[in-house]
Amino acid sequence: MTALEAVSVYLPPTRIPVESLAGSLGLTSVQARVFRRFHGLREVGRDPDPSLCNLLMKAAAGLDALRGQEHRVRYVLYARTMPVVAPYPDNPLHEVCRALGLGHALAFTVTHQSCASGFLAIDIAGRLLAADAGTGGQPLALILSGEKAFTREAQVFENTTIFGEGASACLVSAFGAHDRLLAYASNVRGEFDNATGANDARLQREYRPSLAQVMRQALDEAGLTLDDIRVVLPHNVNVVTWQRMCLLLPFPLDRVLLDNIPVSGHLFCADVFANYKTACERGLLRSGDRYLAAAVGAGGGATFAAMVFEH
Amino acid sequence: MAAQESGLDTELRQQVVDTMTMVLARLLKRSEPITEDQRLMEALGLDSTLGLELMLELEDRLLILIDVELLDQNQMNTVGDLATFIADHCRPA
Repeated sequence: MTALEAVSVYLPPTRIPVESLAGSLGLTSVQARVFRRFHGLREVGRDPDPSLCNLLMKAAAGLDALRGQEHRVRYVLYARTMPVVAPYPDNPLHEVCRALGLGHALAFTVTHQSCASGFLAIDIAGRLLAADAGTGGQPLALILSGEKAFTREAQVFENTTIFGEGASACLVSAFGAHDRLLAYASNVRGEFDNATGANDARLQREYRPSLAQVMRQALDEAGLTLDDIRVVLPHNVNVVTWQRMCLLLPFPLDRVLLDNIPVSGHLFCADVFANYKTACERGLLRSGDRYLAAAVGAGGGATFAAMVFEH
Repeated sequence: MAAQESGLDTELRQQVVDTMTMVLARLLKRSEPITEDQRLMEALGLDSTLGLELMLELEDRLLILIDVELLDQNQMNTVGDLATFIADHCRPA
């Protein structure tokens, strides 16, 4: 069973208040205040170092479990929101692989489900490793995520969220003891393509019910109910979305880990990993606890995704 | 349920209606008067973005904090519906 062996997260110490971003993002002062007051976004991280490679390396540097195990890593997956992040022929992923001594691994990017691509990467990594069973060597996969907020599109999602910089590195195994992936559900809705905007109002209406549906689907597949869930690890889109989600599900708001939204913003695909680390650091997860992670990736279509894990 | 039975502060609700119609006229650039029974989205074209800006301005002007997270789509069909919700789900700032 797919398992998260180790997770490392890097969040840059430099924080920018949303009001300070308003000018460069073309937001009115009222829009900036709406982000703070209703969306619960106070500030976001920005790494002064412009290098995406260095950002990912800072997360990988904290992954102690990787040291000495590089030869076991067969796959490196970069889970990403933005389809393009560097000019050809630059390839930050390959740079990171070389720097980490993982030049031998098959490295590729998973990006088609926007901010839900991290979930897809975990699923793919587990499947690839499971297919390698019996080939020896206890293979591992490394999942990287995190992006530079390098364009306006990568900095703000109109009236919804502000992206923050940060990165994560996660070692995955096919048959590890913890944290075991119990179920994965996703629902890809191609009709919600923001390139045309034709269904934006419908997406707004169906966003929370669709997310709730996929969360319940993952729970069903795991043979669990919300009552069995210790903590929900949300995507960091904004606070009010999750306040409303809790009313819809229903689920206690104080068991949804919202700590990182006000201070980090939406960390692209790294939300789930950052929130997992925070949950561990806060002692919210004990051995055997089940938790539910959920995200929506919106862009070229929308993907609603949820995973159930056992700590 | 009648306003008095529900414990709704009718004076506050009227303040919300008065302020909301004035703010809406400016946000939506409408010169015609806005009335309580008008549908916010269909008739007035209010979207969720402007809806939050409206809430923020109401908070500022009326010195209240609105429990926006409790707001359901069906509680904001008309100007009057939204005013009732706000009067029922706010506290002093």
